Amino acid sequence: MSEMWINMGPQHPMTHGLWNLRVKIDGEVIVDVDPELGYLHRGIEKISEDRHYNEVVTLMDRTCYVAGLAWEHLYIIASEKALHIEPPERAEYLRVMCEEFQRLGSHIMWFSAFVVDIGLLTPLLYGMRDRDLVLDLFQSYTGARMTYEYMRVGGVRNDLPPGFTDRARTVLDWLMARFDEYDKLTLGSDIFHKRCDNLGILKANDCIAHGVTGPMLRSAGVKRDLRKDRPYAAYDRVEFDVAGADSADVTGRYLVRMEEMRQSVRILRQVLDWLDRNPGPVMARELPRWLGAPYAPVGREGYLLKRNYPKGVGFSSIEEPHGEAQAYIVNEGGEHPYRVKLKSPVFSNISAARQYLVGYRVADIPPIMGSVDVCIGESDR
Amino acid sequence: MSASPSVRPAPVARSMTLPPESLRLEGELPMAGAAVPFVEIEALRAREFIPAAKEALGSLISNRSRETLIGPVFNWAGRNSLFPLHWGLACCAIEFAAAFGARWDAERFGVVARSSPRQCDLMIVNGTVTWKVAHKLITLYEQMPEPKWVIAMGNCATGGGPFRTAYSVVPGVDKLVPVDVYIAGCPPRPEALLDGILTLEKLIRERKE
Amino acid sequence: MGPEELRAALAPALGPSLVGVEPFEGFAARVRFRREGATELFRAVHGLGNTHLSMVAGIDWVDHREVLYIVWSDAAKQYTLLSADLPADDPHIETASGVWPSANWHERETWELVDITFDHHPDLRHLLTPDGYEFRPLLRSFKIHEPEELEVKVRHV
Repeated sequence: MSEMWINMGPQHPMTHGLWNLRVKIDGEVIVDVDPELGYLHRGIEKISEDRHYNEVVTLMDRTCYVAGLAWEHLYIIASEKALHIEPPERAEYLRVMCEEFQRLGSHIMWFSAFVVDIGLLTPLLYGMRDRDLVLDLFQSYTGARMTYEYMRVGGVRNDLPPGFTDRARTVLDWLMARFDEYDKLTLGSDIFHKRCDNLGILKANDCIAHGVTGPMLRSAGVKRDLRKDRPYAAYDRVEFDVAGADSADVTGRYLVRMEEMRQSVRILRQVLDWLDRNPGPVMARELPRWLGAPYAPVGREGYLLKRNYPKGVGFSSIEEPHGEAQAYIVNEGGEHPYRVKLKSPVFSNISAARQYLVGYRVADIPPIMGSVDVCIGESDR
Repeated sequence: MSASPSVRPAPVARSMTLPPESLRLEGELPMAGAAVPFVEIEALRAREFIPAAKEALGSLISNRSRETLIGPVFNWAGRNSLFPLHWGLACCAIEFAAAFGARWDAERFGVVARSSPRQCDLMIVNGTVTWKVAHKLITLYEQMPEPKWVIAMGNCATGGGPFRTAYSVVPGVDKLVPVDVYIAGCPPRPEALLDGILTLEKLIRERKE
Repeated sequence: MGPEELRAALAPALGPSLVGVEPFEGFAARVRFRREGATELFRAVHGLGNTHLSMVAGIDWVDHREVLYIVWSDAAKQYTLLSADLPADDPHIETASGVWPSANWHERETWELVDITFDHHPDLRHLLTPDGYEFRPLLRSFKIHEPEELEVKVRHV
């Protein structure tokens, strides 16, 4: 039979974003794959060169719109290293709390979108309901549902409101019961197993060679988790296990993400207890005035100050909900970063599409790409 | 704490033999802060259909013009079943999805997202439009049957938003297609999206063909 | 693996194309090399257990350009930074995608945004920008829109 190229995207229910999957098919079988990105390329790295360090945080929220706080965390760690600023300990714990709540929100959003791809429409409503509870918590201390602008160079913007930790624990208890419910709705369904088992297999060697990270890598038996291997913020002070599976298929990725959510709840309970016991400042003292932090308001005088802050290079690498994200920030002494380079895990995970799609059938594309957890905002930047 | 899934566990229940109470919610939904604000469902009132239908029948009897006959009925039906195009551009798409989730339930206004542009009469531009996607957006708009409307959701679609100065971003989707309703916010909350849809429904009601 | 051990392991294979190995915050070391020995360096670094290439980046320093590779070793649980300086009038270097397949897309992106050509790249074409896009946005000479003067003042009051 003759082969042909078809476009799935940029407007296609499979994509969960704005990208184009060009597929070469022979009948029903996928012969070749050519993902096409860039439909959401917003030039974030370039605009960052024209903004103050704290103003770039606004862009980081929009870089990955399902994991805004994780990307804020990534950027803030790197820029603090570039500017030689140390955050207080409470701010580090608050950031870990933010990142883990964000992991919950991101994975539940993934769950909601993924189950629709395999034909289970009911869990979508359950997932969106529970994600809104996490967003309520964000809203109560950052003021926004998705774009938070919460972290600052040298700390975080504000402390938690009274009664937050108790409310958060209630939500965590609720969510832990819901995760079992999710498993019943998916693993208990024959549709799920028929569509997901032994599908989209990407073995550990291929994962590593093609730069695939995150739940996809951990589902292939490699327990690489930067929170454990290269601890940042307060992750060396909390206990958790690295989720893993060895089937390297769609079901394995599902199991890894569900286990990660349970581990996130475990981390969050420890962090909330710590926050209850240890009040303190959430911003570093003696920040340069032009940073515009809340304790150092930028005035006309600050604007006129001569800026000869020490130069530096900041590098950070965090375990974002989708995988290993990196930032490389060059500070040349000015009030703007000289260069902000961001590496997105989704970018690498999509680039390996040929490895896990070729050989399967066209109808297998939605579950496989759904299990990759695509967020185009961060892969295109 | 469940066991680590290093070995794929046997499926919990292969054929949904779970007791029904296992899916029952324990306790109240832990909603933080205020509940969902009440949105007046003005568009769904069936009683405005009755005078319109009477008028249509009357005009049929009195043999008046075709516009008078079908105009009100068509407008009533059209505005109560807006079918937006199901696509996600950027951040606003997540709030777009949340509006169709359990808490806001946009489908009670008759809004059902469809994946084919040929079934749609409403394009919600939910995110940043880049020059690379611009011609595809115009193609999608042209594939939608008349009459059709466009909602620019969020600051990016309205005027470029935080990416206004970027080299790759269209500063406002109204440079490409005509826009009927603009919604402010970065991203707008689901309530704001619902309000924008209801505003569009008012516009359609006032429409004169 | 510290900088000294890394230098001892790399020096025999590279010879004069190894400029220096120095400590660098966040990394095991920063390996600076000349582009003539790029492929040998990639093979040697890969052979030392750095099997995961996580990022390729380019920086425009106006008078020259710098290309960065960040690699990760699962055994040592450390990142290593490889960097080479390229002249601004002729910025090209050998591709790393033969050693690490994941370099493919990163190099396409670096080529289209920072204008660094990767020789013998299997598929060097536009990735993020549209086909035929002639600008190189991440060069310092590419200016974004200047905000209005009024807006700059308001921002700092």
